[in-house]
Amino acid sequence: MTLLPGQRRLLITWAMLMVLTLVSMASARLDQTSWEALPLWSAALVLVVTGFKAQRLLMVYLNLRQSSGAWKGAFVGIITLTLVLISAGYLYARLM
Amino acid sequence: MSSRALPNPGWGPLSALPGNPLMWVLILSELLVFMAFFVLYITERAAQVALFDASQQHLDPLMGGLNTMVLLTSGLFVAFAVEAIAAGKVRRTRQWLGAAAGLGVLFGLIKLVEYASKFAAGITPETNTFFGFYFGLTAFHFAHVLFGLILLGLVSWRTNVENVETAAAFWHMVDLIWILLYPLLYLLR
Repeated sequence: MTLLPGQRRLLITWAMLMVLTLVSMASARLDQTSWEALPLWSAALVLVVTGFKAQRLLMVYLNLRQSSGAWKGAFVGIITLTLVLISAGYLYARLM
Repeated sequence: MSSRALPNPGWGPLSALPGNPLMWVLILSELLVFMAFFVLYITERAAQVALFDASQQHLDPLMGGLNTMVLLTSGLFVAFAVEAIAAGKVRRTRQWLGAAAGLGVLFGLIKLVEYASKFAAGITPETNTFFGFYFGLTAFHFAHVLFGLILLGLVSWRTNVENVETAAAFWHMVDLIWILLYPLLYLLR
């Protein structure tokens, strides 16, 4: 049994994840009447927020912070690589 | 981490992970499969931006956001269940698992409402490439939610630390994939 995060840390993380979800929805400008492409900074914010949410979920909900550095690196690496590839595809579509 | 503190001694590199180590093999492989689909989606999007953007307007990002919050809250309840079973509170563990499963069912119902509205508008997976991806990716994820619900049910019946940690790891993986899926399908345009 590994050392668990504790209810307080879990609740703080949950609140953070809720706020970050609202931030990503706001930065995607869902209130717009027209469906225009997002400004690049908005799209970047959506992706950065997504990455941070994934990192929090891995470290606290999945409790990987108690695991070895290799596993932490592997999971964060997979998520980072996924987001980098998504960003590259998105940028390519925007700039070409 | 010292070898004495490892949750699964004797499992080589998997020793440092909580729950059944084989679940982590599944989690890693599922993450890689979804990663491949995400890359395929963004590549197709780059080739058909106008079509993808026009089709994306038919999705309801608020509904998707609501579902994100439902699943994240369900993940919190599963994490509470792990805390409870570690403290030896079996009844409390089952209550948290039940609450988490309830939110999992709510996630499914919201998804079904979304699907129904698409079908009512004549939109199917055959409509175009975007909707092929939308239905394909969300249905594949939905299948994982259903499997996760079965796991939560099973560990509510056979409640011990290893089983609850194993089901929790899978449920959080389902959460993690939705965190990536939501902005990709609903928000980025």
